[in-house]
Amino acid sequence: MNPLFQMRHVTKEFGGITAVNDFSITLERGELAGLIGPNGAGKTTVFNIITGVLRPTVGDLTWKAESIAQLPSHLITARGIARTFQNIKLFADMSVLENVMVSCHHSIRSSFWAAMLGLTKHRKEEERIREHSLRYLEEAGLSELAFEKAQNLPYGLQRKLEIARALATEPGMLLLDEPAAGMNPMEKMELAAFIRRIRETREITIFLIEHDMKFVMNLCERIRVMNYGKSIGEGTPDEVRSNPQVISAYLGGTATYAQG
Amino acid sequence: MSATLFVQQLINGISLGSLYALIAIGYTMVYGILRLINFAHGDLLMVAAYAALYGMLLFSLPWFISFPLAIIATGAIGILLDRAAYKPLRQAPRISLLISAIGASFLMENLALVLIGGVPKAFHRPNCFSHVIIIGGLHIPVLTIYSPLVTLLLVLGLLYIVFKTRAGKAMRAASRDFEATRLMGIDLDRIIALTFLLGSSLAAASGIMWAMKYPQINPFMGVLPGLKAFIAAVLGGIGNIVGAVLGGFLLGLFEILIVALLPDLAEYRDAFAFLLLIGVLLFRPTGIMGEPFIE
Amino acid sequence: MGNSFYLPRPKAAANPAGGPTAGLKRWLNAALFFLLFGVLFLFSHYGSGYQVRILNNIAIFITLAVSYNLINGVCGLLHLGPNGFIAIGAYTSALLAMSPAEKNLNFILSNVIWPLNVIQVPFAVSLIAAGAMAALFAFLISFPVLRVRGDYLAIVTLGFGEVVRVVCNGAQSVTNGPLGIKGLYPHTNLWWSWGVAALSVVVIQRLINSNYGLAMKAIREDETAARAMGVDPFRRLMLGFLISAFFSGIAGGLLAHLITTISPGLFTFLLTFNLLIMIVVGGLGSTTGAILGAALFAWGGEALRVVEQPMQIGPLTIPGIPGMRMVIFSLVLLLVILFARKGIMGRRELSWDFLFSKLAGSRRAKTPS
Ligand SMILES: Nc1ncnc2c1ncn2[C@@H]1O[C@H](COP(=O)(O)OP(=O)(O)OP(=O)(O)O)[C@@H](O)[C@H]1O
Ligand SMILES: [Mg+2]
Repeated sequence: MNPLFQMRHVTKEFGGITAVNDFSITLERGELAGLIGPNGAGKTTVFNIITGVLRPTVGDLTWKAESIAQLPSHLITARGIARTFQNIKLFADMSVLENVMVSCHHSIRSSFWAAMLGLTKHRKEEERIREHSLRYLEEAGLSELAFEKAQNLPYGLQRKLEIARALATEPGMLLLDEPAAGMNPMEKMELAAFIRRIRETREITIFLIEHDMKFVMNLCERIRVMNYGKSIGEGTPDEVRSNPQVISAYLGGTATYAQG
Repeated sequence: MSATLFVQQLINGISLGSLYALIAIGYTMVYGILRLINFAHGDLLMVAAYAALYGMLLFSLPWFISFPLAIIATGAIGILLDRAAYKPLRQAPRISLLISAIGASFLMENLALVLIGGVPKAFHRPNCFSHVIIIGGLHIPVLTIYSPLVTLLLVLGLLYIVFKTRAGKAMRAASRDFEATRLMGIDLDRIIALTFLLGSSLAAASGIMWAMKYPQINPFMGVLPGLKAFIAAVLGGIGNIVGAVLGGFLLGLFEILIVALLPDLAEYRDAFAFLLLIGVLLFRPTGIMGEPFIE
Repeated sequence: MGNSFYLPRPKAAANPAGGPTAGLKRWLNAALFFLLFGVLFLFSHYGSGYQVRILNNIAIFITLAVSYNLINGVCGLLHLGPNGFIAIGAYTSALLAMSPAEKNLNFILSNVIWPLNVIQVPFAVSLIAAGAMAALFAFLISFPVLRVRGDYLAIVTLGFGEVVRVVCNGAQSVTNGPLGIKGLYPHTNLWWSWGVAALSVVVIQRLINSNYGLAMKAIREDETAARAMGVDPFRRLMLGFLISAFFSGIAGGLLAHLITTISPGLFTFLLTFNLLIMIVVGGLGSTTGAILGAALFAWGGEALRVVEQPMQIGPLTIPGIPGMRMVIFSLVLLLVILFARKGIMGRRELSWDFLFSKLAGSRRAKTPS
């Protein structure tokens, strides 16, 4: 059988910089994998390429045996790949609930005519979307804040809302870009539990970027390491920890491993 | 069309283009740093034309004093414009900044209307700019020759400032990365003021030449040249000074030649520039000299 | 998780669940329409010509401002070409509703082209055609326009408005060129203007409140994120563009048959500028704000006429200053955008929910809990 997702020999150049250099990866159904690497290694660029925010200069991507390298971002989401952003990108001036409701837009079944004329069919559809969204808020523990503006949420909850919003698109693969950034150890523990629960309650692949080694090593089954756009190692947390190339890429980062 | 007529139109196109070029530079410089279309930029032409005219009329100044004074005054108004209408909105959403620019443009036009009146005024062209040279069938007003020359001189001066002086280097740095430049401890407000001063002065020079070329001036005379010069700036690749100059000349030539070749469409002359803009945005949004777009 | 350090404030005000029931709201809406109906009835029978004119102006401005706000406020694009759509609507409606004989009287320099020289349709049909024609043009230009954003979009749409005006000036055999079209029948009355205004408000408000409107707002807030959530910006913005142009076109038709004379000079960028003032003063992104802004503008525009007319203060005669009104308008726009960027309403709407929660709020404040 074909793997769920495959990225083959992808290179991305910005002017003179090669942000991603001949990068390949395969992800299977239900996997929980991590992507680590020093600042500027090209991790976010990999996510941007997967989700169609950027086009690869060279290389191909396949999702369920279909090439998605040339698809626009919103169609990739409709195919089943959702993401969060490193620098939180919520719809700041909209309510928490509305943020999640936007994610259901691609599955809306009533036309805009029905919306403008206020037909019953449309009202039922709105009701469905609303309830669907509330369930996702519930799961993320945000239902009480449903009518709060997204920008008024504290940082940690904003990150969680981003995950809820991405989940509401009902993806087969979820990409999390530094989900634990800016959280305190308490929040990080809860986040790890939340991510595990997401994976257990549905058959979903999770691929996440994170700088906190302890967090990644505890959570992920497989870890990919990159530096200067290139893949420099892959394996279980233990294998990665003892990989000399990885250690030298993280000069001085050994202290963090020791804790992991 | 005869060869003489063609050469004649070519010269006219270059002359008109040189005026667009001078205005386009101001757009491109401000856009480079603030990422703002300075809608009020075109109105500086009008300000300069009136200032030059009143300098000659009211204060009986000779043109070689009145014109430079008008240019300096317009430069100052450019700085004032930034301080009053744009500076308070540096952190605001872009849409607010643009609306402010539109408001400032209307304010300048209508203030001029109230203060001076809407009746077009005759611009007194100094005698030395009124001669016509006749070479083998070609009628060339000296102004048509002077304006590209003046443009060339001013552009060389500007390039010197931008590429050779410290302030110019800071300006270029700011247009590449505004935040990083701020972090480097450069006083961005001074750099922005300098940008407006230079851009507005060049627009003023263009405005005075425009007024001599079409010697009926009115409060709205800057609107259309301003819009077209902006298009020239996009055509050349916004943010790029040399591109703006090139775009200005190209647009001038394009306009004159299209009217000369397709006289039936002369009425639609003002529409061509916009169609050209749409074409450029569709097929090469970065313009002629623009670098590949980096998000 | 983090909830421990963040105790959510109870926000009854924002929670629609706490508002009036749907049934009650329907009654209230019906009552409101009845009230409007009564007021219009009174004015159309007993109002002076001046009052009726102002009321017509207000209604047309409301239609224009509400549909303009859909693009500028809700979708977040700075669209500067509504004057083009209004012109298209005005000319379409005028040319279709006028009798062939009268058209021939108007077109002196060149004959009006077929089929306009034989066609005449009822006013209502001409209005729908006006909207459809404007929407058709919106569809065509949305391909180049929606490829760009920000300042570029502003200048391209502004260019569109200019091109429409230039073409109206030049296409003698369609538009009668700079002479314009005179002697239109004054079809537009309070019922037409307010009927269209009410319809546009209801339809656009429904769209904004639907999931489609939500997607538009999401694009305004963060286009990359909206895409990543599966929203196709091109299609959603195009939808907004078409609806907005449709109502602008109809309003153009109403305008033509209100002032009975149209010429290209009527549809300059100044018209767009006036609309911009209305929605900025009312609050970008708020339909209520657009309505308030339109009413204020129509009323203020009349009130400010005094500054352009000579004034008699005791023995002193102050000469009127032509153009002073525009100076004041520009200043208002600048001052609002510089010092009160949210305008009157911000992005809030005056809804039954809002009113009720205010009422409930003040009651709760009075009774000690
Ligand atoms: N849109 C872009 N245009 C130009 N250069 C870019 C762009 N996006 C990323 N880069 C460059 O590509 C390189 C990789 O960036 P990327 O954001 O992928 O790194 P990262 O691994 O996510 O780093 P971090 O851990 O800091 O988030 C960097 O040098 C960055 O400056
Ligand atoms: Mg990153």
